[in-house]
Order: sequence, then C-alpha cells, then structure tokens
Amino acid sequence: MRFSRVTLQGFRNLPLAEVALVGKRTFLCGANAQGKTNFLEALGYVTALRSFRGAESRALLGLGVTQAGLGYTVEHETFGESRLTITLTPQDRVVEWEHGKVTRLADFIGKFPTVAFSSQDNQFLRGAPSLRRRWLDLTLAAMDGAYLTALQRYTRAVAERNMLLKQGGRDAGALEAFEHELAAHAVTLVARRTVGIAELGELFRAAHARLVPEGEQAGLVYAPDTAVTAPAEFAALLVNCRTRDTLLKTTERGPHRDDLELVLNGRPAKQFASEGQQRCLVIALRLAQAAYFRAKGGVTPVLLSDDVLGELDPGRREKFWASLEGEPQVIATGTSLPADAAGWQVLTVEAGGVQ
Amino acid sequence: MTPALEALQKALKQLPGIGYRSAERIALHLLVEKPGRLPELVAALESAARSVRRCTVCGNLAEEEHCAVCADERRRTGQVCVVEYVPDLAAIERSGAYRGRYHVLHGKLSPIRGVAPEDLNLAALLRRIESGETTEVILALSNDVEGEATCHYLTERLPKAGVKVTRIGFGLPSGGGVLYADAVTLRSALEARRDYS
Repeated sequence: MRFSRVTLQGFRNLPLAEVALVGKRTFLCGANAQGKTNFLEALGYVTALRSFRGAESRALLGLGVTQAGLGYTVEHETFGESRLTITLTPQDRVVEWEHGKVTRLADFIGKFPTVAFSSQDNQFLRGAPSLRRRWLDLTLAAMDGAYLTALQRYTRAVAERNMLLKQGGRDAGALEAFEHELAAHAVTLVARRTVGIAELGELFRAAHARLVPEGEQAGLVYAPDTAVTAPAEFAALLVNCRTRDTLLKTTERGPHRDDLELVLNGRPAKQFASEGQQRCLVIALRLAQAAYFRAKGGVTPVLLSDDVLGELDPGRREKFWASLEGEPQVIATGTSLPADAAGWQVLTVEAGGVQ
Repeated sequence: MTPALEALQKALKQLPGIGYRSAERIALHLLVEKPGRLPELVAALESAARSVRRCTVCGNLAEEEHCAVCADERRRTGQVCVVEYVPDLAAIERSGAYRGRYHVLHGKLSPIRGVAPEDLNLAALLRRIESGETTEVILALSNDVEGEATCHYLTERLPKAGVKVTRIGFGLPSGGGVLYADAVTLRSALEARRDYS
C-alpha cells in the first residue's frame, strides 16, 4: 500500500499539516524537535491504532487541544483507493473508513500495515526478552488468527493458574484443570513460533545480507523455555513445578518465558556486535517483518524510517538505501538529506509545519 | 435530592447493567412519574424473594422443591445438560431442541474472580450421577478458558464407566456462510464435523 495524501490536525506539535505524498520516496528533513517523528508516528498510527513510540493517546494530542484529527488517502492492494479518518480525544479514538464508523476496531487493526524503524529498536538486542517476544507475537498474530487466539487463551490460563498459586496452590484439582487448558495452548504457541521464526529467520538473513559487507552472516534463533511437543508432556512439567511455583506465586516455565536470539556469525549479537552491526541487525529485523507481512498478507507495508542511520558508516548507509529499492513507499526522516537525493520528494519540517 | 432518594439511587446502581444515570431515572420514575407502580414492584420483589429458591436436584430456579424441568416426568432422565447459569438453561429451553434434564453450576471456575470448585453446584451433580440414572452428561459450558477448565475439572471427577460425556459443538451460526466466518470458528466447525450420509 501507499499513502497518497495525509492531513493532520492538532496532532502533537503539528497544528495543521496537509501533505500530498508523491512517488515512492519521501524524505522529511529538518532540525531536531521540529516534528519529523511526530509526522511518521501519525502515519504509523493507522496500522494498530497505537503509537510506535509506545505513547498513550493523551500524549498524542497537541498542547491545549482536546481533539486531534488524522486523515489519510491510501492506495491499497485489496481495498483500492481508500479514505480514512481517525479522531482522537483523551478518552477515545474513532475510526471512519469509507462507509462510516468502524465498530469493531479489532477487525480494523492490521488492515493498513506500516513498519516503523526507530532508534529505540536497538532495545531488541539489549533489552529484556519481553521486548523480543512482543515483537514476535505482534508479527505472528497479525497474520495468523489461530496464533492470536492461542496466545490470548494461554495468557488467560496462566493468569488463572497464578491466582491459584497466590492463594497457596492447595487446590490440586483446580490447578490441574487450568494446567490442562494452558498446556494445549502452550504447545500450539511453541509449534507456531518454531515455524514462524524459521520463516522470519530466512527473510532476516536475506535482508541483513543486503545491508552489510560480505562476511557478516546473521541468524535468528528461537530459544524456547520448554521445547515440548505434546500437551500431556507440558502438563506433567507443570505438575512437577507446582511446589516451586507456589513459593514464587507465579508460573515459572512456559512460552511466556521464551526468547529470541539474534546471532552474528554464529555468536550472540548482544555481546559481540558493534554499535553499527547492531543497528544493521535491528534494521534487518524490521525489513524481515515487512517482507513477512507481504508474503503472508499480500499487502506491502509502508516503511517508516525514523532517523536510524546515525551509527552507520557511509558504506552501510548506501546499502540501506539500496536495499529499499523495490519497496513501493518509504517515508524517512533525517537532519540531512541522503547522499543521493535524486528520486526523493523532500519535505521540510520546521516548527510543526510540513511543506 | 433527598437522603432517601439518594439511598434508593445508590441501591439501584448496585444492580447489574445499571449505571448512575439509569439509577437516577428509575428512582425518579418510581417516585415522581409513576408512583402507582411502586406497590406492585415492592410486592413482586417480596413475593419473589419469599418463594423463589434453587431446585434441590439441579440448581435451576424453582418455587417448589423441584423445578419445572425436574418435575416434568415426560423429560428424559438419562441425559443431563450442564450449564453455567440459569439464562443458559432458558436459552436451550427456548430452542425446543432438548428434552432431557439440566444441571446449573451457577458459575465456572475462575480463581481471578474468586470462584473455586466449592462455590459451584458440583457436589450435587456428582451425587446425582453416582445415583445411577444418568447415561449421558452434555457439557454446555462456554468455550472460553474458564469454561474449558471447568469441563476438564468435571470430567476428571465423573465415573469413568457407564456415563457418556459429550461437549456441545462450536462452529458456524445457523444460516451463516463459510466465507464470513473467522478462522477460529472455522477451525471449531471443522473439528466438530460429523458423518453425512
């Protein structure tokens, strides 16, 4: 898909911006704190009705503004040319699409995919496993309804079991009932994560190879907490853990403790990769995510690149831009133009104005 | 506002599905707009509180010792359909598709909501089945995590022989097309497919 026109009103520091996006490449250029990222954030918001910076709705409204409006004209592989508007208030968000208000937001989420590259992405490597699991869950669940259901039910069953453990874990019958339910979904999650990570790993390797000089090879390794294949096996493990879990008042083992490891030339990237290499790895992860959405959902996401090239040497920067060659739309921000600015639509962002 | 009106409004607001505005509206309706309805409502509440109780066999609502279903000798006694709440029973009754007996658990296992096995009408069900009249237990509990866990808990405690345990099917709505069903529903529908010949 691609955005052809965007209108923002009262969003963050952008009082009113009306922009036509022309061609496949748009570059938002400006000094720090002028509103470049805010503009990208507004574009990314259409995907999951959430900020890619993790900000809550209230923070998205301009200072002293009670309502913000986001309007998009989108060319979409499935829906053709679509008009969308999102109205944000401190309490609520309302989406209107073609024929009127979207009542079930869950059905809307993911229909208009974007993938944002941000400087915070380095946390994938350095941060807690929960960040990597979250990325994995979002990527797989967006393309697989059965995965989402298994994840929701698994999470619920773990919460119920944890409550039993907090109450002292004395009711073995009730524990067993929830462990039975939990085990079935745990096995589904592990199986689908195994397949998903293998597919994402291939895309990741390919994307990474386009970004770096020869001789660097990246990989994605699934590190399941428990690699069980049958629900009965997992249920038995939970029974064994009951005494310890009761002391800790929480379920210690299971897919909610899985991790995802990024490796570079066979070694853990967290410890061995340089700043620039780490940056390339997380960029490749985002590119792999975009390729996965395209392969599974048939819609090519718009790539939103938020000044991510800081740590990269000129060679890697060039390779980054070259790797985006086939992408239908890339919207990037930066304080200075890319070396080869030909073919880019350049917009200047200054004090909340975009033109 | 008077203290008595406020007290009434507060009491109404405690009821399920009634918020502040509705409570205010109902209170004013009863006291100002249609005060004539008040004695009727009070009498109905008192009478219901006095006479409605749980059926000693199945937990359904009754005014005698047994509910209308348990007292009806034409109903099949071998089948027991286990439901979470009384409205579930009423819904199945409205469908007219079932002529057996029921058992109402008055909830489902949920440690988060503070519902433990002893809070459910389970012991009576197990006693009922051990007494030997039942040949089939139909589990008509919802298919969320808590409903499934309750089904499992129950199944583990039922006699292993002599009683057939079945689960109601989950799948496409009647008159619904395959095209518009979500993936999870389709999966359930395929899993619950049956011989067609």
